[in-house]
Amino acid sequence: MALDEVLLQNLDDIPILRLYGWNPPTVSIGYFQKMEDEVDVEMCKHLGIDVIRRLTGGGSVLHDSELTYSFLTRRYPQSIIESYKVICDAVIIALSKLGFNAKFSPLNDIVINGKKISGNAQTRKNGALLQHGTILLDVDFEKMFSVLKVTKEKIRDKMISDSKDRVIGLNKTYVETLSSLKNGFREKFAANLVSDTLTEDEKIRTKKLIKEKYSTTRWNLRL
Amino acid sequence: MKTARNAVKSEKLIKVLLRYDEQKKTIQSITIRGDFFLYPEDALEKLESSLVGVRLERSVLNKRVQEILQGAEPFGFTAESMTEAILGCLSKKIDRV
Repeated sequence: MALDEVLLQNLDDIPILRLYGWNPPTVSIGYFQKMEDEVDVEMCKHLGIDVIRRLTGGGSVLHDSELTYSFLTRRYPQSIIESYKVICDAVIIALSKLGFNAKFSPLNDIVINGKKISGNAQTRKNGALLQHGTILLDVDFEKMFSVLKVTKEKIRDKMISDSKDRVIGLNKTYVETLSSLKNGFREKFAANLVSDTLTEDEKIRTKKLIKEKYSTTRWNLRL
Repeated sequence: MKTARNAVKSEKLIKVLLRYDEQKKTIQSITIRGDFFLYPEDALEKLESSLVGVRLERSVLNKRVQEILQGAEPFGFTAESMTEAILGCLSKKIDRV
């Protein structure tokens, strides 16, 4: 999260694609959510799952068996929905290369046969756009609903059974999904992808932001 | 003073915690949370602080929400759905705080 923010602050005219997994598994909540409303933090501690509040809006997500992308650019449609469509299209192309017929599902999801495979969230600052999103490789519904709070109106078991009809994992490996995702972005943006490393300044600023913001209860719990 | 909560799903979920003067029907404080998006993000804090003192009457509240959200871009809710989420607190069970 800190790295995404540093890259967004520093972004020049060359877009950045960042691809990563999660270790340990982590629950992230959206910028406008409150941790205690959405997450059983004690259960997360018990299961060795981290918690964090994102710099982007949207809902709560258990990041476990998934590939996550962060895409940063200064060239994007002004319309929010159009910008989601354009960037999600790169993911959809990647999924088609893995044999899946995926579609964009407004406002910010990608679905395969009506089931959610990817959630995406965006922020814009100083003319730069960050969109990050998940590509689910596998879904552990029991674990998900043991850490995500269920409202009084919903019964946990019903939510698990409903979710199995609404959310799926790709059942592909991280490596093959990553390769397809790179090709998806290459094709969508007619771009060459050039591997890069963080500068010393980016590493220092990321560590500082982790210490001063993303590891604090003030940020994560909105205290 | 009364406190009530409401949760409404328009395109995205809006959760409201409202403290209001029951006699004057004005907002004392308001906390808005949810899985929506709003650009720029700090417009939400401005919305919450600018709604203090506003009357909980549909046309007044809706006009004020629209004014505050000018220059910001909600994604997943509208001024109207935000207004309804806030007003929906009035018919909810009162929190004993």
